[in-house]
Amino acid sequence: MVNYIARRIFMMIPTLIVISIIVFTIIQLPPGDFLESYMAELQSQGESIDKQKIAYLRQEYGLDKSLLEQYWTWVTGLLEGDLGYSFEYNLPVNEVVGDRMYLTIMVSILTIIFTWVIAFPIGMYSATHQYSWGDYGLTLVGFIGLATPNFLLALVLLYLANVYFGTSIGGLMDEQYVNKPWTWEKFTSILEHLWIPVIVIGTSGTAGMIRRLRANLLDELNKPYVVTGRAKGLGEKKLLVKYPLRVSLNFFIADIGSMLPSIISGAEIVALVLSLPTTGPMLLGALQSQDMYLAGSFLMFLAVLTVVGVLVSDLALAALDPRIRLTGGATK
Amino acid sequence: MSINLNYLLIVLVMGGVVTQSIMADLPEEPLVTKMASDQAIGKPGGTLYTLMAKSKDIRMMTVFGYARLVGFTRNFELKPDILKDIIVEEDGRRFTLVIRKGHRWSDGQLFTAEDFRYYWEDIANNKKLSPFGPPPQLMVKGKPPTFTLIDEHTVRYQWDEPNPYFLPALAGARPLFIYAPAHYLKQFHASYTQAETLALLVEKYGKRNWAGLHHSRVRQYKLTNPKLPVLQPWVNTTKPPSERFVFKRNPHYHRVDEKGQQLPYIDQVVVNIVSSSLIPAKTRAGDATLQGRYIRLDNYTFLKAGEKKGNYKVFLWKNARGSQVALYPNLNATDPAWRKLMQSVNFRRALSLAINRHEINQVVYYGLAIEGGNTILPASPLYDEKYTKTWCQYNPKLANQLLDELGLTKRNNVGTRLLSDGRPMEIIVQSPGESTEQTDILELIRDHWQAIGIKLLTRPSQREVFRNRVFSGEALMAVWEGLDNALPTAEMNPKELAPSIQEQYQWSQWGKYYETGQGNPPTQPEILELVKLRREWMHAPTNQAKMDIWRQMLSIYSDQVYTIGTVTGILQPIVVSNNLMNVPKEGWYSWEPGAYFGVYRMDTFWLKNESGE
Repeated sequence: MVNYIARRIFMMIPTLIVISIIVFTIIQLPPGDFLESYMAELQSQGESIDKQKIAYLRQEYGLDKSLLEQYWTWVTGLLEGDLGYSFEYNLPVNEVVGDRMYLTIMVSILTIIFTWVIAFPIGMYSATHQYSWGDYGLTLVGFIGLATPNFLLALVLLYLANVYFGTSIGGLMDEQYVNKPWTWEKFTSILEHLWIPVIVIGTSGTAGMIRRLRANLLDELNKPYVVTGRAKGLGEKKLLVKYPLRVSLNFFIADIGSMLPSIISGAEIVALVLSLPTTGPMLLGALQSQDMYLAGSFLMFLAVLTVVGVLVSDLALAALDPRIRLTGGATK
Repeated sequence: MSINLNYLLIVLVMGGVVTQSIMADLPEEPLVTKMASDQAIGKPGGTLYTLMAKSKDIRMMTVFGYARLVGFTRNFELKPDILKDIIVEEDGRRFTLVIRKGHRWSDGQLFTAEDFRYYWEDIANNKKLSPFGPPPQLMVKGKPPTFTLIDEHTVRYQWDEPNPYFLPALAGARPLFIYAPAHYLKQFHASYTQAETLALLVEKYGKRNWAGLHHSRVRQYKLTNPKLPVLQPWVNTTKPPSERFVFKRNPHYHRVDEKGQQLPYIDQVVVNIVSSSLIPAKTRAGDATLQGRYIRLDNYTFLKAGEKKGNYKVFLWKNARGSQVALYPNLNATDPAWRKLMQSVNFRRALSLAINRHEINQVVYYGLAIEGGNTILPASPLYDEKYTKTWCQYNPKLANQLLDELGLTKRNNVGTRLLSDGRPMEIIVQSPGESTEQTDILELIRDHWQAIGIKLLTRPSQREVFRNRVFSGEALMAVWEGLDNALPTAEMNPKELAPSIQEQYQWSQWGKYYETGQGNPPTQPEILELVKLRREWMHAPTNQAKMDIWRQMLSIYSDQVYTIGTVTGILQPIVVSNNLMNVPKEGWYSWEPGAYFGVYRMDTFWLKNESGE
């Protein structure tokens, strides 16, 4: 097992190198560079462009160097914890991201909890009461959540919250608390705003979760060990929770790999529509304005989290599900 | 030409009007702002809220604040503002700038001739800070001015040739800063600070070298450094990045009202950053005291319906663009057959005549727009109706006739005319793909052109790709906004009417030629005439001569239909809280000239209820 873990960790290095090359290529793919977008934007507002100044900036930011050199500077910087420089904000990327990270993690964790709290009972109920009215009804609700465009739901909820509760539109807190230290009022203001993104992002995830839990559980429910357990007089509730549910949670653990990055990235589109001070809109903005180091560092960070997450879920699976064993070794 | 300060400066009678505490903060000779007829003397205090979509939009506060060395008035006349006086002599070769005595930066240090000297010697002429030398507006035929420091309050710029760019550049929405707070900046400058100390600062701010450090500290337009002293009405107090920027009033600001109260009236301006799609909704909810940016005519009915609940009013200001949406036939297209046609004046005229502008106006703009070519607006003193009307009446019959005369008589089985080499006449219009307005209008024009046997296709792309396609000559036609400055006075540079820069989509290669000297010059006599007139304008001795040149250029430009305009005079909704006074009901919402709220002097706006609720 130790061997396996060591090998997996070692394999992460080439994976990440390849990812870093891909990320760098992707952010270089659109024609032009940050200064080109910058010039176009200035010009659209009628501001004049000084070509010489642009040439100077290009040299100053190292955009005149070859791609290989640019890549090398970026990657070696990443290793030292320097995420590069954001052209758009004129600040080091580390500073730009700053507080947004906490708020993003907060939104995402609450969303995940929301999804679980809704999806688990429904999934279990649907599986144990297959083809009942309740099964159809709850599944329908789940699908509506999945099918409604998130941005639309977000706008509708924003409107309703503003009209009926007087919640200010957009953002995660009332404007007077921005840049202020944490207080009880600030906290309650956040709670007042938080439920909208949590519901919007959460509902889109519940349907998938319900269906997967239902399907997995149904597979298990008719297996002989369940029948045996029931025959031996095990209570229906205990029987369900102790064996089939545990086994059917396989997918759930395997999901951890993708959950880690989602904690950081949040749901970009919803965050953009709701104008949340999370990292999602920032990443999107960086990609649009070709703020390459900001975008690149974000993507790279997400990639690292995915790779680590996959490792964690593999290990957790091995520990939790006795049926999963390493192949190719001596184990049988 | 001499700008006489007396027009503007009613000398302040000190006795009893100005209190002692205010006097300590004001220059000895403050600028007395006379309220316009629709404005009243206000009272100080309160907070103004406004919304922006990006954190870098805080630069708009430099635009709105509009404190300039010399600035445009509401009637677009140039008057000294920060300066006490500016004396222009020798036909615009010599400019003497007089600074107000006792004028202070927002941090309380004196604003003197040293700040001009520092800019000129230690920034503009420092090889490390300005590797390309002084900005182009300060160069005449490649030569910089002679800078003379006369005394503590007087500096002089002298050129060998007249420099007509100088004053408009100082008055621009994005002004040319020819001064900088020397007392603050010297600590970041290698000539004044020891290398070791500087190295520590460079390290602390994470810059590459001291030049980078100095640049990051001196952004007088972008306002990203809260420590930078300014002369604007409000001072940024928030370090980016942030979702909320607070601008506090500048206690040393140089303007007062007629009662001697120091401006700005409003104590602080809070700029909240939210996503642009939410701005109309937030405005309707009453979250902005004053909002013009990121709302459009489409939002008008939505905003109007919320007036009562949001406690605001929606004013409709005018937009000062030559044409809201204009077509740019590419005279430098690489395809030889098409290039020949695009360069033929009757072809361009036919295209223009075939457009039903009335229909566009009715369908897209509720009939509120002005129909006509891409030219200046009636509010400009240079205006003549013929510029708008020439070759712009809807006349498909004449258009067809013009095309027939060009020998484009053959048609294919669906009625599309054929080029001389047998290809069908299909014009692909490149668009940057950002605005639904452009696509809507192109849809209408497609039908109009079908009637004269020309097929129009639209190809949206990304802005950079779009530009490159035009520059390379691959594009046959581009769609973009019309003239940037449609409210010119004779003093403003007529550069947009003649090839001068690459970013002119109808002749980008000729523009590039006059900008950089690369490539080939045009040979068409009309275009050479425009180039010649523009040169003459620079040396025109009198205002009348400049005006004549403008008129000649405008005539040629509309007669030759170098760009095909559609409609103009589109309205811009401005949302103003019922609590905010002195905002004019009618105005021009334009970047240049005018700086949006700038010429209406945002520092004279005031809140009826001090709390700003």
